[in-house]
Amino acid sequence: MNDIFRKYQNWLMLIVFIIATIIALIPLFGVLGYVLKNGLSALNIQFFINLPKAMGLPGGGMANAIVGTLIMVLIASLIGIPIGILAAIYLTEYDRHSWLSTVVRFATDVLTGIPSIIVGIVIYTAVVLKMGNFSALAGGLALAIIMIPLIIRSTEEMLKLVSHSIREAGYALGISKGKTILKIVLPTAAKGIITGAMLAVARVAGETAPLLFTALGNQYWARSLNEPIASLPVQIFQYATSPYKEWHQLAWAGSLVLILMVIILNLVARFAFRSRSI
Amino acid sequence: MFRKKGKLLAYLVMTALVLILAGCGEQAPGTSTGQEKVNLTGSGSSFVYPLLNQQIEEYRKQNSAITINYQSTGSGAGIKQVSEQTIDFGATDGPMTEDQLKAAKGGKILHIPLTLGAVAVTYNEPNLPKDLKIDPKVLADIFLGKITKWNDPKIAADNPDVSLPDSTITVAHRSDGSGTTYIFSDYLSRISSEWSSKVGKGTSLSWPAGLGGKGNAGVAGVIQQTTGSIGYLELAYAVQNNLPYARIKNKEGNWVAPSLQSTSAAAANATIPDDMRVSIVNAPGTDAYPIAGFAWALIYQDQTDKAKGTALVNFLNWAIHDGQALAEGLHYAKLPANLISREEELLKSITFQGQSLLK
Repeated sequence: MNDIFRKYQNWLMLIVFIIATIIALIPLFGVLGYVLKNGLSALNIQFFINLPKAMGLPGGGMANAIVGTLIMVLIASLIGIPIGILAAIYLTEYDRHSWLSTVVRFATDVLTGIPSIIVGIVIYTAVVLKMGNFSALAGGLALAIIMIPLIIRSTEEMLKLVSHSIREAGYALGISKGKTILKIVLPTAAKGIITGAMLAVARVAGETAPLLFTALGNQYWARSLNEPIASLPVQIFQYATSPYKEWHQLAWAGSLVLILMVIILNLVARFAFRSRSI
Repeated sequence: MFRKKGKLLAYLVMTALVLILAGCGEQAPGTSTGQEKVNLTGSGSSFVYPLLNQQIEEYRKQNSAITINYQSTGSGAGIKQVSEQTIDFGATDGPMTEDQLKAAKGGKILHIPLTLGAVAVTYNEPNLPKDLKIDPKVLADIFLGKITKWNDPKIAADNPDVSLPDSTITVAHRSDGSGTTYIFSDYLSRISSEWSSKVGKGTSLSWPAGLGGKGNAGVAGVIQQTTGSIGYLELAYAVQNNLPYARIKNKEGNWVAPSLQSTSAAAANATIPDDMRVSIVNAPGTDAYPIAGFAWALIYQDQTDKAKGTALVNFLNWAIHDGQALAEGLHYAKLPANLISREEELLKSITFQGQSLLK
């Protein structure tokens, strides 16, 4: 008897867990499903190759916004990822407990919590006003500033996970500290570091607020990095708040493309680097 | 092995990106002509955005070398950014104040009227007729939050044949700096001393009541999504959204709906000063719609880049002449003919190193 009761109890709890898991997945698939349902119908080849059209005219696309987002995320990654990873190496490998690292860690935590619009205002004042124009560079820089603390934090956690005995094994063989970090510690933590960097990239790819003051937006192609440039989030924001049905459709399609970009980024990170694990 | 694979992948991604970027660059239109390519950036008024957007597209068909990027950021942002010289030109539908003009970093700013527009009082209440009559005083009381029900006796007094619903009024207004707000509050300040003392006029106000929306489009969205709402929109936005708009009692005591004719009528009797900064709210004239105003381009009289300055002046000159043909289709009134010649003089006064840019 007791045995059967235990079995039932086991089944019951299992069902509760499954239900809880399903509920946790509902928001994710809800968002995906809703965006798919609304976005898919507006998604066609024109969306990827055409420029936005003037209000009310059909057939406009978001080619410039897609490319603009890619460019600014690339600029942000080129600035943010090296700085973030190098700073994290310094914090974990060279200077774990001094006042400087305490200050840097505290500043990083504060920076992670700062609303992104404030980064936009700072870059507007410090870069846009000085340079005299809105630009892809300013937008990329704003995104980089948002990325850096995220990358420092995730890289630091990953490096901390590398067992100290592995480092000591390196030293025991007479390998210098720098070589140990480069050849042993970093490769061991690589998967985690890259995943962290990808998550930071995915996070900034969807940022709208810091781009409003820095990249401004553009209904045409930007011809250089020193010009205002379109981006998917800003374009989605402008279209979604417009009264025009065609533009609402385009906003849904833009959201779908943005989500797909983020998902692909995550999948690439996981697939390409799955061979290594800590 | 892993690191080689990683490097290879990184190179592949970079190469792909560079190719994509290069490919897109080549696609950019305007490469076929021998003319010097010019990119202009402007931002500001969302009031004039639909018209300016179409004018830019049309102008670009004839002058493929000139690309004009106009972003609808609101008049407040347009004034700020042109003052700080982060854009080549601004657009606003509330004229710059003396203090703002003095604060401009690049010298004297000219106001070039681009079009005339009406601010429609729109509402979303299914039980109301399409052309409700709203007295100016009642309008002020609604936006002051003093009249909160659609069946208020003050509204009923002007609409005796309408059975007004017992629903709550939700006021919708702009949350960003806006020239549409300027025109609307300028009008309310003229007809209500309480509004004038409590709220005043400006591009952004501390609103006594209601919900905010960003841009004309944002307010249209708030109105569409809120039953019982009332708000103010540039006429084109109201028409595009199939929103009904109220008839307002004008200075002469006639009930007038916003239209191209009633907007032109408001401008017809106005005396326009040389700097073009003029208010035409509550204008005299039997058919004049009382909540109307100009939208101006903001441009420095002394240009610092010859190619950009020339392109800008030529575009504006086209916009006030041929570009006006696009206005009526979008529910903007054409500029009065006698004004256009004066604007031309103003454009001719725009110089680069002392030389007029308009031939």
